[in-house]
Amino acid sequence: MTDSVLSADVERKAAPGPRPKGPLVWRDMDQQELDAAYDQSKYAANQAQVQERRLVASARARAVLGEPLRLAYGAGAIEQLDVYRTTRANAPVNVFIHGGAWRNGRSADFAYLAETFVRAGAHSVILDFTNIDAAGGNLMTMAKQVRSAVAWVYKNAASFGGDPSRLHVSGHSSGGHLAGTVVAADWRKDFGLPGDVVKGALLCSGMYDLEPVRLSHRSNYVKFTDEIEQELSALRHLDRIACPLIVGYGTCETPEFQRQARDFAAAVAAAGKPVQLLVGEGYNHFEMLETLGNPYGLLGRAALAQMGIPSV
Amino acid sequence: MQEHDHPSDGGVSRRGLFAGAAAGALALTGEPAAAQRCPAPPRAKGPLVWLDLDQQELDDAYDQSVYAFNAKNIAERQAANNELALSTIGKPERVAYGPTGIERVDIYKTKRPNAPTLIFIHGGAWQNGRSANFAVYAEPFVKAGANFVAVDFNSVRETNGDLFPLVDQCRRAVAWVYRNAASFDGNPDALYLCSRSSGSHLAGCVVVTEWVKLGVPLDVLKGAVLGSGMYDLKPVRMSKRSAYVKFTDDMEQQLSAQRHIDKINTPLVLVHGTLETPEFQRQSRDFAASLRAAGKPVQLLVAKGYNHYEVGETIGHPYAVLGRAAMEMMKLNFG
Repeated sequence: MTDSVLSADVERKAAPGPRPKGPLVWRDMDQQELDAAYDQSKYAANQAQVQERRLVASARARAVLGEPLRLAYGAGAIEQLDVYRTTRANAPVNVFIHGGAWRNGRSADFAYLAETFVRAGAHSVILDFTNIDAAGGNLMTMAKQVRSAVAWVYKNAASFGGDPSRLHVSGHSSGGHLAGTVVAADWRKDFGLPGDVVKGALLCSGMYDLEPVRLSHRSNYVKFTDEIEQELSALRHLDRIACPLIVGYGTCETPEFQRQARDFAAAVAAAGKPVQLLVGEGYNHFEMLETLGNPYGLLGRAALAQMGIPSV
Repeated sequence: MQEHDHPSDGGVSRRGLFAGAAAGALALTGEPAAAQRCPAPPRAKGPLVWLDLDQQELDDAYDQSVYAFNAKNIAERQAANNELALSTIGKPERVAYGPTGIERVDIYKTKRPNAPTLIFIHGGAWQNGRSANFAVYAEPFVKAGANFVAVDFNSVRETNGDLFPLVDQCRRAVAWVYRNAASFDGNPDALYLCSRSSGSHLAGCVVVTEWVKLGVPLDVLKGAVLGSGMYDLKPVRMSKRSAYVKFTDDMEQQLSAQRHIDKINTPLVLVHGTLETPEFQRQSRDFAASLRAAGKPVQLLVAKGYNHYEVGETIGHPYAVLGRAAMEMMKLNFG
């Protein structure tokens, strides 16, 4: 019949048989299980379909909201960000850091997240930054970019009608990891800025301890070092966290992505810092982010509440 | 599980047995994502019974669980989201629109006076679902300045397989809302309809109602957004849904909206997802084409990458297909 029927059939493939378990490499996982636990496609059967609808929704959002301001936060060609402006003066700002296993994704493809913030009275800033392959496998390059982007927004928010004292950050997947490195940045030492640059953050489906990630197949394309593992594991810099956190995950995510969120939230709470753990019943890794694009969705509702601009 | 279109004779379906594994505890099954997929071994095609479909293909085309691997997960999140929405907007007022116990509407009131009202007819293969499950759809409309009225009506299991009582109830509910809108500060001249799945079949029957017989104006409904529905019962009757719906020639004829297009006085928006069953996609396409051919106002929206249940979820999402269409139809200021 039609192409669309064929794509529905994609979701009907037969399951392969069982196999013997190998030696444990991380907690109760053997190598294949750990690799699968850091490979979303193994757990989200509809990854391609969710991406398809994200691209459609983003094109739609740009048509509805208009093309964003495109501003440079650094010297490199990729060091730019999209600003979807709200009409309110001196409005709060949400900076979004996209995911894509550190390899994929461009800011324009996440425009669909902007409408929730813009309509509620906040500017939505969506970052572009390099990918791990272009960075020669160096995750530090990406972390430095997103941190400097947030610093740039703090210093320049007024230029597009934003209130630098109400700057919030959100991130998903590998962007959740990078957003974790933003809230765990040493703002004074590295940027000469106050420690509370970020007033609140929503970290969804991210990684906050790189040790198991380093042990997984992701080492094939990320050149982990002891320094990268240490500096870019937000879990190990709880003392630097100076804003309330929302940490989210879906119950259909990989066991590791669920555990990372739970363990990070527990550690933040144990350190006496404000944190809310949001569990998306019945959502997989990619479906979780869709709820940020809905003011009445799990993440959208929480993000707006954290910014003090509840869904209208 | 209130949203499920599982025909009762089929049990939980092949896929339902596997869907839960994705939620956490993981056996050594090789590729974990396979746990969400419906195994469909190859088989020889039988004689065609409807268009290019053989009997099993037709049965599958009216069984959402075969095409929506994540039906169970979606039911889980719908239940969780419904609780969240209820805690935000509070319980609705529950009022009788007819004499029997089930003939009640749940009214979620907006703050705006003389507000427009969206009447919602739920799906569930005519078998499942209760109005209480849909606070999650009500919230965006209530916040945007519209009342939301969820209609309760009988399950086909309670009517001995007869669809007429369900249709009659939905029609009377609309007439009741028209006559009583002022009682909840609604504007009777700004009533709209929204529905999904088997509820869109019922809504299709509602928009072809002979309103004069119910004493309400022909244009009582100013617009309707129907998601993922059935508008011609012939192929449905030939499918395994006949095991629980007692179709008759009269029922098939009277309750196929596509055969009563001349009675439609309501602009329609029809929606289907590209991952729905082939028949659920065709039903919306063909109904839209028939309406267009008859010169009736209709818009067909195709949601790329959405399955049957995922299309339904967008009613509670002002920036996704059904929610945005309903907001625009009602000219609501949603932000």
